[in-house]
Formats: sequence, C-alpha cells, structure tokens
Amino acid sequence: MDAASDMSARRPLLVRLIEDYWGILLLLIAWQLWVVANSFNPIVMPTPVAVLGDLVSYPGVYLRNVSITLAVAVFGLVAGMAVGTGLAIVAWFSPIASGLLNPLTVLFSSVPVVALIPVIARLLGYDTSTVLAIVVIITFFPSFVFASSGLRSPPPGSEDLFRVLGASRLSLLQRLALPSAMPNLAIAFKLAAAHAILAAMVAEFLMGTSGLGYLFAKTKADFQTEQAFGASAVATVISAAAFLAAGWVERRVRERYS
Amino acid sequence: MRQTLLGALGIALFLVLWEVIGRLQLASISWPPLSDVLVMLADPDRRPLFQRAIGATLESTALGYLWGTTAGLLLAALAHLLPVMRRGSDRLAAVLNSVPSIALGPIFLVVLTRESTPAAVSSIHVFFIVFVSVSSGLQRATPAHRDLFSVLGADRLRRFARLELPAALPALASGLRLAWPAALIGAIIGEWFGAPRGIGILIINAMQNFQIVLLWCAVLLAVGSSLLFYGLLTLLERTAYARFS
Repeated sequence: MDAASDMSARRPLLVRLIEDYWGILLLLIAWQLWVVANSFNPIVMPTPVAVLGDLVSYPGVYLRNVSITLAVAVFGLVAGMAVGTGLAIVAWFSPIASGLLNPLTVLFSSVPVVALIPVIARLLGYDTSTVLAIVVIITFFPSFVFASSGLRSPPPGSEDLFRVLGASRLSLLQRLALPSAMPNLAIAFKLAAAHAILAAMVAEFLMGTSGLGYLFAKTKADFQTEQAFGASAVATVISAAAFLAAGWVERRVRERYS
Repeated sequence: MRQTLLGALGIALFLVLWEVIGRLQLASISWPPLSDVLVMLADPDRRPLFQRAIGATLESTALGYLWGTTAGLLLAALAHLLPVMRRGSDRLAAVLNSVPSIALGPIFLVVLTRESTPAAVSSIHVFFIVFVSVSSGLQRATPAHRDLFSVLGADRLRRFARLELPAALPALASGLRLAWPAALIGAIIGEWFGAPRGIGILIINAMQNFQIVLLWCAVLLAVGSSLLFYGLLTLLERTAYARFS
C-alpha cells in the first residue's frame, strides 16, 4: 500500500487525474456530447456545463437545502447507530432478548427499506422530524446486526481467559466485547453513512418538506431541470464524499482494533 | 433449538403486537391491524391487481439484476486484468452508487422508455454491489497458488479463468444475495417515474389517496418477495462457500 502511494505521488498530475478519474470524466464528456448532438431542450436534459453554471449562479438555494439534508442525515445516523449499538448491548447481556430480537432484525435488514418510507410517512405525518425518523430506522438495522455479531466474536480463547481471571460481565463488555466489536461497527458506519443521505433525500422527495430531495421534486415539477440536476449533483458529491470518508474511518478503526 | 424457539416467539410477538396496536388504534388510523391487511391480500377480487403489480416489478427487478451483475462483473474483471484502470473504476463505481435513485429516474426516462426505467435504476444498485464484492473476491487467490500457476506456464488470462475467477465465486454469491433487496428498491423507485404498473405505483397511489390497508398490502408484497429471493440466494451463497472456499 505504501509503495503504491509513493508511486502515485511521483506520477505527473495529469496522468494521476486521468488514471483516477477516467471513468467519471468519460461519463461527463459523453453526457455533454450526447445532449449537444441530440440538441435536447434544456427542460428535458441539460448539459453538465449548464448544471455547473446553475450551481455557481445560485449558491444560496443549494447551501440552504444541503444544510437541512446534511443535518438530518448526520443526526439520524448518530441516533440510529446509538440505538442499534445500545440494543445490541442489551441483547448481549440477555440471551432471551437476543433470541427474541435476532431473527426479527435479520428479517428487517433484508427488507427493501425504501418501500417502508411511505408507511412511516403516513404514520408520523409529513414533516422534517419524519425524515429524521426514517434515517434513524434505516441506519438502525445495519448497526444492530453488525454490532451484535461483533460483540459475539471476540478472539478465540480470550473470553475464557477473562472468565478465569474472574472478570465481571460489565468489564468483559468494556474490555473485550466492545473493542472486538469496533471493526464491525465501523463497517456498519460505512454502509449507513452513504445510505443516510440518500434515504433522507428519498423521504424529502416523497413528502415535499425541505432539503435537497424537496428541491429536486419542486424544481423538476417547475421544469427548472438544471436546478433539479444541480441538486442531484450536489447530493452525489456529498454521499460519495461520505462513503470515502467513512471508508477511511473504517480502515483506521480496523488497524487500531484488530 | 432454544434459539429457534425464542426466534419464532419473537416473530410471533411482533405480529401480535402489530394486530393489537391496529385493533386498539394505539398508533394512528394509518396503522391497520395485520388481519385487515391479510384479508385484503387474500381477497380474490383484488388478486389480478396484485398479480399484475408484483409481476411487473419482479420482471424489472430480474432484468436490472441481470444487467447490473453483467456490468459489475465486466468492470471488476477489466480493473483486475488491467491494473492501470483500477483506481478510475473504483471511483466511477463509487460515484455512480452515490447518484440519488430519484435523480436516476428522470435521466433513464430520456435515454430509455417508461417501461425499462425501473430495470435501469435497479441495475445501477446491483452493479455497485457486484463490482465491490467481485473486486475483493478476485484478490482472494493465495500468492502460493498464483506462483504455482506462473511456474506451470499459465498466462495472465488462463490464471484469471482457472484460478482467480473461481476464487471470487463465494464473494460474488454474497454480493448477489445483498444485491436483491437493492435491486427491488431500484425497481420500485424507477416505477415512480411513469411506469404503467408495478408495486411502486401501487405504493405511491395508495399513499397519496389515503388507502391505508392497500398501502400496507403493497409494502407487504414487496417485503415478502424480497425475503423469498433473499432466502433462495442465501442457499446459493452457502453452496458457493462450501464448494469454492
């Protein structure tokens, strides 16, 4: 890994840019050429250059909605992971609770959660707190599943050692189970981080409250297609950044705890 | 045994709780009792509606699953055989996966037809999961095996076909299992952009027209079909692990 990054530092900038981003560049160029060649009406399909122009011209609109979506996604992610991990710890203490909960959560984590958004929206009403609740629910399942399996798989033999040395259940949790669950929690974090933003957007899109998803729905309906694509572009960049950042956190945690 | 019993009890408790909350209207009028939902699902008059919807959605999902798996496999193989393409394809996949599904709909609507948009959205979801799992699976062959193939004079392509690809099959099977619910979500969201029929249409119409029981029926159908295929794919995954790892 170190040798590879050394090499990448020595490559000229242009080569590095092409090697790292050839796919994305190709996609953008193909999009631009395709729109120009077909001479699409900008209402149907704007060029990437026009979308960029809109982003630069109206930073205020984007900034306001990005901050709403981002705040909801971050709060929801933190709350969902806290509830998931907390419940996993409860289940770790009580074999009965874990027996009752485990199959249910495995069932739920293989459910297409987006299909549940309309139901939750109907139950809780059409506002921003519902969007938050949806993000919490969607990030809860991976956290619970990964935390439970992490808590249950300490290095072989270590649990016996703790028992022999007379460790209490609580110190077993603090000193052994929780640290050995950290890499798993990091994976859950990586899965949930990018998901949180996209789920928030789908919820905002359906309920028409506020945020990037709402901006997309509204501008699409008003035929401001450039702004609708701008909103999508911003969401894409943010959730890709969240995915990369979460990947970095995951690698760090894995190196530290395993 | 004890675990199985407790698990069954947990699921039963959940279902009873659902029924009781609905009967006593503890949550809101938007929470119908389970029995009402099941009665509507079993209603023979509604059967054609449900069958058409789930049939259309499953067809889109299967198509998207096929396209996405093919694209994911091809890009992962390309990046593996031509390491110079590696970083660029990783980034392309990450960015494609980060495009909000609701934004994919309008794009595919221009490129394709209303009928094939759900499959296309679904294929993007599948593509990413298959690409990521196959990419990591292709690196699973041990260095000792690789050296053996080189010593015996196998060229790059033969080593890929005979060693690295089989070693990646368990990872592919895991990816295929995880990709099914994602494919279904893609198809449902894709349907919101003017598809003539499908579970996504049923869900959105029921939600907007306050047909609560119908909404829960549609969601239950989506969940049920997801679980069914997820279960089947889990079996496939076990076979792959038993045979190839």
